[in-house]
Amino acid sequence: MAAAFEAAGLRAVLTGGAAAVIHTGGEYQSEDLDFILESSPSQERLDEVLAEIGFSRKRDHYVHPASRFFIEFPRGPLSIGRDIRIRPVEARVGRQSILALSATDSCRDRLAAFYHWNDRQSLQTALQIARRNRVDLEIIRTWSIGEGMKARFEEFRRELSPRSPTTSG
Amino acid sequence: MVRVKRSSPFGGQTRTRALVALALLDESFPREIGRLLSEPINGVLQAMASLEKDGLVAARSAGRTRLYQLNPRYFALAELRTYLNRLAEPETELRNRIDSLRKRPRRTGKRL
Repeated sequence: MAAAFEAAGLRAVLTGGAAAVIHTGGEYQSEDLDFILESSPSQERLDEVLAEIGFSRKRDHYVHPASRFFIEFPRGPLSIGRDIRIRPVEARVGRQSILALSATDSCRDRLAAFYHWNDRQSLQTALQIARRNRVDLEIIRTWSIGEGMKARFEEFRRELSPRSPTTSG
Repeated sequence: MVRVKRSSPFGGQTRTRALVALALLDESFPREIGRLLSEPINGVLQAMASLEKDGLVAARSAGRTRLYQLNPRYFALAELRTYLNRLAEPETELRNRIDSLRKRPRRTGKRL
């Protein structure tokens, strides 16, 4: 998929639950691959690129006859709450690399669902990401305050094991 | 019924007015929005679906009802809310209808 996007000159960033799957090492599961396009192909061009790897469009998502995964392209911009200065990273998936949210941003993305929709499953996923990766807690704290969610950040911080490999700056 | 054309900066009058209504209500469902705007339910359902795709609104299920709100995760939510509140100012009729809605709880079984 990443190779197909690259060959077609498309910049697509994996976000949402699928990015969390990468950063939790599969502890969290999602069959929904959400990509935010940072280029603007026509619908026909996007259909062609995905057809090359066996995906066909079914209304607004793409399915593969031999895969349980489906692909969606939520409308951008790439953002986490109010923050639109998101820097994707090259994440390794097996022998391939794919452009995805960083661990810190994926953690923030899950926290956004907890903050705004009180989705506690997303809090647990954010905790899993923070425990497995070096996430920048100061960035998360500053962003949380900007979202008006200081108290919920404190709840996340309290639940996070003190032994987690986080950075404080 | 032929309606007087209004400004529709969000791509259609129903989309625009549904957003204005949601900004005033915080949360609502298509049938209520349709009643408030005097718009047919199908048009409202279509408008809400397209607004959801655009990321401007988010929906959650409550039983069989889909409850909509302005998307709290939308990157420009604060600016959108300010703009919609401004658009709501000349919508006297809509504001009056919303003001007359009962939103406070009512104990189960209490006579109307």
